[in-house]
Amino acid sequence: MTAPAVHGPDDPAAPAPAEARADPLLTARGVSKSFGRTHALVDASLTLRPGEVVGLLGANGAGKSTLSRIVSGHLRPSGGEIAFGGAPLALASARDALDEGIALVAQETSLAPDLSVLENIFLPDLATPGRLSFRAMRERAGALLSGLGHEHVLPLDAEVRTLSAAQRQLVEIAKALALDARLVIFDEPTASLSATEVDRLFDIMARLARDGRALAFVSHRLEEVFSITDRVTILREGRAVAEDVATSSLTQGDIIHHMVGRDIGAVYHRREGAAPGEAVLEVRGLRSLPWVRDMSFSVRRGEILGLGGLVGAGRSEAAEAIWGLRPRQGGEVLVRGRAVPLRRPADAVRAGLGFVAEDRRAQNIVPDLSVRENLMLAQMGRHRGLGRGYGRHAARAAELVEALGLPADRLDTSLLDYSGGMQQKIIIARWLLTDPEILILDEPTKGVDIGTRAQVYRLLQDAADDGLAVVVISSDFEELLGVAERVVVVSDGVSIADLPAARLTEEKLTLLAAPRSSTARNQALLRELAEAHGGDAFWTLIDGDETICLAQAGRPAAGLSPGEAAEAWETRIPEALHRRGEDFVAEPDGSRRTLLTQMTDRRGHDLGWIGLTLPGSAAPPAAEAIRARVHRLTHETEEAE
Amino acid sequence: MSDPAAPKPPGAASAVLRSLELRMLGLALLLAVILSLSSPFFLTERNIFNILDQSVVIGIVAVGMTFVILTGGIDLSVGAVFGLTGIVLAQALQVMPIPLAIPVAILAGAGIGLFSGVLIAVFGLAPFVVTLGVMAIGRSLAFIASGQRSISGLPPDLDAIVYTKILGVPANVLFLLGLYLCAWGYLSYTKGGRTIYAIGSNYEAARAAGLATLFYSILPYVVSGALAAVAVTFSLAQIMSADPLAGNQLELDAIAAVVIGGASLYGGRGSIVGTLLGVLIMVMIRNGLNLMGVSPFWQGSAIGAIIILALLAERLINWRSNRG
Repeated sequence: MTAPAVHGPDDPAAPAPAEARADPLLTARGVSKSFGRTHALVDASLTLRPGEVVGLLGANGAGKSTLSRIVSGHLRPSGGEIAFGGAPLALASARDALDEGIALVAQETSLAPDLSVLENIFLPDLATPGRLSFRAMRERAGALLSGLGHEHVLPLDAEVRTLSAAQRQLVEIAKALALDARLVIFDEPTASLSATEVDRLFDIMARLARDGRALAFVSHRLEEVFSITDRVTILREGRAVAEDVATSSLTQGDIIHHMVGRDIGAVYHRREGAAPGEAVLEVRGLRSLPWVRDMSFSVRRGEILGLGGLVGAGRSEAAEAIWGLRPRQGGEVLVRGRAVPLRRPADAVRAGLGFVAEDRRAQNIVPDLSVRENLMLAQMGRHRGLGRGYGRHAARAAELVEALGLPADRLDTSLLDYSGGMQQKIIIARWLLTDPEILILDEPTKGVDIGTRAQVYRLLQDAADDGLAVVVISSDFEELLGVAERVVVVSDGVSIADLPAARLTEEKLTLLAAPRSSTARNQALLRELAEAHGGDAFWTLIDGDETICLAQAGRPAAGLSPGEAAEAWETRIPEALHRRGEDFVAEPDGSRRTLLTQMTDRRGHDLGWIGLTLPGSAAPPAAEAIRARVHRLTHETEEAE
Repeated sequence: MSDPAAPKPPGAASAVLRSLELRMLGLALLLAVILSLSSPFFLTERNIFNILDQSVVIGIVAVGMTFVILTGGIDLSVGAVFGLTGIVLAQALQVMPIPLAIPVAILAGAGIGLFSGVLIAVFGLAPFVVTLGVMAIGRSLAFIASGQRSISGLPPDLDAIVYTKILGVPANVLFLLGLYLCAWGYLSYTKGGRTIYAIGSNYEAARAAGLATLFYSILPYVVSGALAAVAVTFSLAQIMSADPLAGNQLELDAIAAVVIGGASLYGGRGSIVGTLLGVLIMVMIRNGLNLMGVSPFWQGSAIGAIIILALLAERLINWRSNRG
């Protein structure tokens, strides 16, 4: 069986190669793998060449991870041929693969949490006989990490359990390099990383590829595929449906088409004529240390609210604190205007809330109960009386099961047999069965393939149309803007902005969500400017006539307040915002003068504008000096990075 | 990621193989055939009632142990609670009528269970350690309360709870079967029962779903303590004397029965039917070895070997059905 390869217009596989490509380091042909009666792989192929990053794509259950695990020796194939460096490859274990120079940087890291970073990097060495030289290891580790450009972010003596997800991944990568891996497979490495961390990871991957290593990148975030891969191989139902195709020859639509085998149309649907009602959930000044410091937001009937921010900003923790899973030190939660004491999840359920927690396997699925029991779980907890209350909800459950596309005769099987997408839909349905007024979902499409994603969004939007207030927590800004009507941005445990999604873009959200520590310099500059010149200093994003103020210091004069969006005409400095001149711009009425200076990073990305508004009567200081000061700021920030 | 798109419905043959209870039933029947072939006395009506009679004490205790193990816990204190509540019952019988003394003993057992349960569920202490401590305290209190002697001279009417026959079946055997029926119904069809399974299978998920995890984490220990007292009541009615050492190592027999019955010590998996079969298998082995005149010192080895073989077979079958 040969996989039908797709040939794009500028496919180098066509007669005249545009550039010389290295000989393949790894070729896998017709690989199959069965687990019992399940065929995870039927006819998969993969070609990896030195110096290239190949995206390995596919919907959930397509076999991406199985193929990665076969290539890295964690699983043995049931059939097919794999050649590595020109010779047939037969791996009996992951150890064999490491000896050959094949490493897997897995989704769930394979680190020993109680050992130090150093010991983890050289973990495979611990298995070799003889004495270990910790000094030599330390030197080597330093060299490896500086080769990655990250020697200072990773304390070698820290226990791995204390590290962030991004740091752990760095340890995994260093571990692969310590073995001189020639081929590195990254299995969904970005799933738990923030946007900045993803950028850093991509820098590292680009560096590894430049050094002549062959890289495979497993992901289903398409935008990432486009930004890092040279070629892609797409799997569907265990078969390669597109193999070794130049990424540049494909559109997002092409890839989705290959992944799901049909056009799924737009993933996001804007809701038409949604008119939210009164506020049903209000959170005021929520505090749950150390993650949540001061968070306030409210959701209205029929509204989908997004809680945006970076991983670690405290959004999940806030949801868990509301849900009674974390102790609260302060703040109020009001349901329909009445303060409710939520000490335990059961209290929240009774108050009419539902909560789909972030970690499906650890926080939502009860593995030993059947699909039906998992579906009925929250409803059973709410049921008063001795029985399970199944009968009373049977009709609604049957309705939901049908809407989810789940065969009714499979309800007594194990939930673990289903794809991540179906599991997620069942968990959402679990809460819809309790007829909640408010549903909070933490990363609702984590590990959910793109075809099912659209259905999850549809499910939420339909529920909102029926009057449900929905809160979606997501690190995927595209998703947040696609599904939510309003977004509350959270940074370092504080809710800092509350904006209509229509006014936001992913870039603006990224800037808004930046952690406070990285904006501290900007805030200091604003204070300094406001004090030195006795005016209003602010930091704002400007897009046409729209502004979103990020921070402000001094006596307010410009009419911009942090976390709020405003049209230029709504502010008191429309002329200055409109002209953005080299020097101070006076408003026509002579009341104010404003200097706006743009900040950019080294790649020329817009980081927003620093503004200084002074009373019209005051003599303006030299614009050039302030400009230089702002420029110095972005330079210093870069050096510190 | 690599999970199958949709599970295939299992065939009838593999459904039988998949059902743990049916496998255990097969094992019990196999044992019965072997034992009846090796001893002519095994398959007599008298001996069958003997086996059931010998199953009462361990069977009752194993129900409580099933509840505890389903939540992922363990109760090492049942043997000591059995001994202590036996002394409590014997002392109570000296000063009050039987219908009052028995509830007092059961309450004492439940109270000890409540103590363990609160320490485990509220304070998050390890069940193994808490019940180990309670075991030591319980045994020590049993010796103190009894004055290091057996207490005899119990009211003769007490034996009615064992020897009364209803439709030809002794009351204690009827009670045992009734208890298993109730426990089966509770664990399979009530909110509490399913919550106990959910707690053992994934505590975090059960809590986040709004189930009353605290209450149902404590309850199994209360049930286990109370049932240990119920078991000692039947035992006293037969022996007519309370010994502070009674129930020594009873916890091991109960845990063995539950594990042979297919329960996972990690919680969430197991069944009351399995436990009943586990109890019967253990008692049959003892009974059969006695009939064959095998030294009681060898019986421990035989039971230990059966436990290990049962678990090994289980693991091999699971491997096969998972990997095909």
